Amino acid sequence: MNTVLSRANSLFAFSLSVMAALTFGCFITTAFKDRSIPVDIHVSKIMIKNVDDFTGPRERSDLGFVTFDISANLQPIFDWNVKELFLYLTAEYSTKSNALNQVVLWDKIVLRGDNTKLNLKDVKSKYFFFDDGNGLRANKNITLTLSWNVVPNAGILPLVMGSGHKSLAFPETYETSKSY
Amino acid sequence: MLSAFKSIPTHMDYKGQKLAEQIFQGVILVSAVIGFIYGFTIQQFGWTVYIMLAGFTISCLLTLPPWPVYRKNHLNWQPAMPETSGENRDKLQEIQKKKKHK
Repeated sequence: MNTVLSRANSLFAFSLSVMAALTFGCFITTAFKDRSIPVDIHVSKIMIKNVDDFTGPRERSDLGFVTFDISANLQPIFDWNVKELFLYLTAEYSTKSNALNQVVLWDKIVLRGDNTKLNLKDVKSKYFFFDDGNGLRANKNITLTLSWNVVPNAGILPLVMGSGHKSLAFPETYETSKSY
Repeated sequence: MLSAFKSIPTHMDYKGQKLAEQIFQGVILVSAVIGFIYGFTIQQFGWTVYIMLAGFTISCLLTLPPWPVYRKNHLNWQPAMPETSGENRDKLQEIQKKKKHK
């Protein structure tokens, strides 16, 4: 500690250790928090088509079109250890050929500081609702749920499902030659 | 130009170094505690980091330059012994005489 450089070295190393301890403290204050909130989902339009599917092994697959409303208040999730939320809407159902199907229809990134009241109306799905086969027609039970991935400042990234879901049924017949 | 920097005296005496270490450790720990409590209260970790950086800057200013308070306890070196220099002179004269003989 006789020269300036040696003192600066000591000081800087000590500050970094203290900073690491503070970050651990930040993590430990929010590690066991329950990050689930109630979510409200409504569906306004459901349509199904049977189209050429170039990504799968068969010629034609079912393609679903869902228009929905989502409303939720994300404010309780944001604390000092949350950097952003990655929200996604999943459709879950079962068909004759597959016991469990999960398709992500829409997602959104909500950064810290953005508006946390989610009130979206008449949203079309972002991604294609393709089925692996033709199991969507007359499928009575398709469950839509909103989940999110919490990206923290320090610690683990939990995957949380919102409480509140919407069940819908697809119609019996295909739509023909109507644009979306 | 580097030699100009190197020639500035930056030493502290032993007790001064101990005082400097205690001061910077204390300042950084206090600013860490204040920062943690303030950040937790307003739920923004950014403020914790800012307060820590402020504490770091204050302790840099207090302990990096060699203030006079760190030079109060001078080490008392022993005075130089005069017999040693006399012995050396005698030996040198003996060697010179031997060379002259040769």
